[in-house]
Amino acid sequence: MIENDFKLLWHAANQKLEASLLVNKQNSEDITKIKVQNFVSSMKPIKIFTLLVGIVWVSVVGLLLIQLYVNAYDKVNLFFLYSAGLQVVLTAVAVAVYMYQLDLIYKIDFGEPVIEIQEKLVKLEVSTLNVTRLLFLQLPLWTTFYWNETMFTNGNYLLWAFQVVVTVSFCYLAIWLFFNISIENRDKRWFQLIFKGREWQPILQSMELLNQLDAE
Amino acid sequence: MTGNKELSNQFHQIIEQHKGILFKVARAYCPNKDDRQDLLQEMMIQVWKSLHRYNDNFAISTWLYRISLNVAISFFRKTAKRQTVSLPMIYEDKVMEDDSDFERQEQLRLLEKFISELNKLDKALVLLYLDDKSHAEISEILGLSVSNVGTKMGRIKERLRNKFSKINS
Repeated sequence: MIENDFKLLWHAANQKLEASLLVNKQNSEDITKIKVQNFVSSMKPIKIFTLLVGIVWVSVVGLLLIQLYVNAYDKVNLFFLYSAGLQVVLTAVAVAVYMYQLDLIYKIDFGEPVIEIQEKLVKLEVSTLNVTRLLFLQLPLWTTFYWNETMFTNGNYLLWAFQVVVTVSFCYLAIWLFFNISIENRDKRWFQLIFKGREWQPILQSMELLNQLDAE
Repeated sequence: MTGNKELSNQFHQIIEQHKGILFKVARAYCPNKDDRQDLLQEMMIQVWKSLHRYNDNFAISTWLYRISLNVAISFFRKTAKRQTVSLPMIYEDKVMEDDSDFERQEQLRLLEKFISELNKLDKALVLLYLDDKSHAEISEILGLSVSNVGTKMGRIKERLRNKFSKINS
């Protein structure tokens, strides 16, 4: 069978098919009632909520910590100041990246060439992975902000041992997740638990396509 | 600015005139008939949402191929439960009558089988090639260089010829 035969065969079959195709008018009408979204309306309520909580957290706690640092540095518990400070900095970075990502998602135009869109989707999701890795680095800070001098002067071995176990475990978990959250581990159960959700499917399929591009 | 009514009319006109593109892409990427309706719905939603961004420097068919392929490749889950579509979006009015030429039917079946076995990128290339798109047009739709399209198409055609010659011999 030669090249032109394939095309002739294909055209003959598709002409018949196209002639018999019908569009369901009601469904097609319903689609035009979907509002063409702007940036904010394109976001799901849960995303808006997460973003607002993040902004409020960073603003309120951040301002409080700055006040303490400037006006009461000698009096404040330094474990709290630095633990909370680092946590707020990491959260601020995550909030900024999250806003940037949402803006990018909104700007993605499916009328652009296929490979370009697939690459954009992959970049978006890789940056999601990186923010998640960064956020997990906060874990040990939640076990140190309440430390104080009294713990060291008046604490007992049991308390210290408990504290060391908790902090070391959280450090280990944070570092392990930081190094292991990567697209290569996408099939692992723990990864799917963290990133379960509909938005992950497109990225995995985009990666598959880009791998096919690189494979040859 | 284009009014919503005008945009809506434009949308219906585009879908009506080019429903074949959406249907062919959906059929190639989604063998299951029920799931295919979900995919078609998603494609049509993306066409509607992207319509205000349409750049008429490109042919409408180029733009539609881009949208339908992007949706088929990335935004469709075979495992998704059908929730939104109760009635088909685009459907065949009647089942195509069997071609009296049995040999042609068999060859068509083999060609479709071959396409279904291709990876997602090659599938897109073959669909566009069979629809008489030039290498330059395929390059515009997929975002590959023209030479890359030529190389890949050459390999795919070679594989296709080999498959058919094996069957025929």
